[in-house]
Amino acid sequence: MSRMLLIEDDAETVDEVSGYFRSRGYEVDCASTGPDGLRQARDGAADVLVVDRMLPGLDGLEILGLLRRSEIRTPALVLSALCEIDDRVRGLRAGGDDYLGKPFALSELAARIEALLRRPTHGAETMLRVGPLELNLVSHTARRGGRILELLPRELRLLEYMMRRVGQTVTRTMLFEDVWSYNFAPRSNLVDVHMGRLRRKLDLRGEEELLTNVRGVGFVLKSPS
Amino acid sequence: MSNRAITTPAAATPAPATPSATMALPGTTLLDRLRRAASSTIFRWTLSISGGFAGMALLLFGFIYWQTALHQRQKIDRTILLEAHLLAQAPARDLEEPRLEARLAAWLANDPHEVRYAGIFRRDGRHLAGNLQAMPKHLPVDGHARQAVFKGIDRDHDGDDPEVVRAVATAIGPDRVLLIGYDLDELEDVQDIIRRALELGLAPALLLSIAGGTWLAWRAQSRIARLHAAIGRIMGGQLSGRLPVDHSGDDLDRLATAVNGMLDEIERLVEGIRGVSDSIAHDLRTPLTRVRNRLERSRDEAGTRDEFQAAADRAIASIDQALAVVASVLRISAIDHGRRREAFARVDLAEVLSEAAELYEPLAEEKGVALLLQSRPGSIVVGDHDMLLEAVGNLLDNAIKFAPVQTPVILALTAETYGLRIRIIDRGPGIVPGERDRVLQRFYRSERSRSVPGNGLGLSLVAAVMALHGFRMEIEDAGPGCIIDLHCQPALPWVLHNQQHSLAAAHPDAS
Repeated sequence: MSRMLLIEDDAETVDEVSGYFRSRGYEVDCASTGPDGLRQARDGAADVLVVDRMLPGLDGLEILGLLRRSEIRTPALVLSALCEIDDRVRGLRAGGDDYLGKPFALSELAARIEALLRRPTHGAETMLRVGPLELNLVSHTARRGGRILELLPRELRLLEYMMRRVGQTVTRTMLFEDVWSYNFAPRSNLVDVHMGRLRRKLDLRGEEELLTNVRGVGFVLKSPS
Repeated sequence: MSNRAITTPAAATPAPATPSATMALPGTTLLDRLRRAASSTIFRWTLSISGGFAGMALLLFGFIYWQTALHQRQKIDRTILLEAHLLAQAPARDLEEPRLEARLAAWLANDPHEVRYAGIFRRDGRHLAGNLQAMPKHLPVDGHARQAVFKGIDRDHDGDDPEVVRAVATAIGPDRVLLIGYDLDELEDVQDIIRRALELGLAPALLLSIAGGTWLAWRAQSRIARLHAAIGRIMGGQLSGRLPVDHSGDDLDRLATAVNGMLDEIERLVEGIRGVSDSIAHDLRTPLTRVRNRLERSRDEAGTRDEFQAAADRAIASIDQALAVVASVLRISAIDHGRRREAFARVDLAEVLSEAAELYEPLAEEKGVALLLQSRPGSIVVGDHDMLLEAVGNLLDNAIKFAPVQTPVILALTAETYGLRIRIIDRGPGIVPGERDRVLQRFYRSERSRSVPGNGLGLSLVAAVMALHGFRMEIEDAGPGCIIDLHCQPALPWVLHNQQHSLAAAHPDAS
């Protein structure tokens, strides 16, 4: 069971987020002021921090700065009503691992928290494997079983992103931010079209569906049972 | 516009008697209006100019009088001095009493204008001869011409008034004094003429200018009252109202015309905003109503958990659509405010285009449309990479949306004489000339595109991005289809330098 520390002064957001995550099996601790949040975060019991930027007593970014300086590396997501790109950059620079503008969909927050908890290891491996899927990071070739997948560069990057997060729900915005590194929201169902094309190459008719759509949220790459 | 202005009630009934025309002004009686006219700037100017005029005229006339009088007096002085000299400096024999008296009498008799005075007196003041009976006091016997007053003699028949004369007293021998005088009547005549000229010329001129000033002030005042009333009505919410224009071409008229132009623009903008809020409300109401209906139906009809979930998923999709509308509106207003111009940097348009093509290629493929890219590497502009990509992406999105199956969508980058041109061509229905301006307005969607999903914000966003960059957007006919041109200024070397400089200053730790 994962333990989340929510440092947020808005009671409604606290209720909403803590209720949602408790129902998903998280243990949620709450702090409503900056100093209280800093104290609880220093205890080190939490696996992940969700920190609001505007807090009484101590700013969210200041908390992160203090934590990182005292070598506490608990992954943290910064919540803020300020969602201009500059604010985002500042949030990440201050020690945040992800940044989410308010208001947000709870499913989006959940997917990002999940991603933070299971941070992919960008190790020196040259080969990723998920069930029958194999991705060679050196030769940039992918295969499913014996079948070679003809993938475009972008599709290779999408596949790598999904394979590093196998079993995790990944949202459209995350893909857009991480794979394309764009900071604007896609207008059409662009990500869906790209993922659809990847899926058609991955999962042929009759094969077990590995890449699936999570309605209203995003996508997940399943490890075959 | 001007036609409408003339036919407004205010212009048609300029008379102050109409209550509606003067509604905006507090006092409207004749006295009030006169008082207001008198306190007007024009009236005060007229008064001061007339005063200045009158002063100048008085000065001029005074100068003329002074010069004339001086000249006249000098002439008289010369005459009397000469006469006195002639009478007094004769040979001694002629100065004997009877002869001098005779010469004096002859001189006095030879005086058709009755201006001559003369007298011979003993030193003790006894009268010896001449028409003067007494020596005037205070007249020194020194042979110089002076002003003197003779009493008890009335040569010019003006009653008992003392005669003002120029006179010279000169000594003859040891015990006699000769006095010669000349009347100053001529001078008084000149004075009279000048006074009459002043009365005849200056007084009517003054009266005329005061009357003219009053009239001008009155006229201006009543026009201003009409303008005031018109402004009052417009401020009261009647935004279609205009200021009265009489096409005289004078200052007020030109000002009113300019203000009317401004009102046209304001009215257009307000209408635009009204249209925008209507469209936002509409675009939000549609998905929200759909959500409501679905939830209602699923509450009544759904029996299984799966059915409930399916209904909830559809509701979430509709709400996401509504949220996307809101996000687009906020995004456009953020771009409009231009807060991000400080983050501008060098952008290679060729890169932007190839990224956009890569991003939208699967969409085109899915639709059965061929996306063709004609690029030109090294096309550097100063701007925001993501915004430009978003703009080009929006245009591609539209083009793919409207292009019929099996037709190409062309994305081309070319160098023009004035800069770089991004051109997007599709073979869709195109945009008729009359609609080309309107499609750039927020939420405008042409009738023909109603069937295609979208929230009518795509082109508005492009227009906002172009405006922020100082680039220009043009819509043309591809016959059939639509051409959209984005004219982009290439980066000037010094701009690049400044940009890099300011970027480095803003983020010293970013390398």
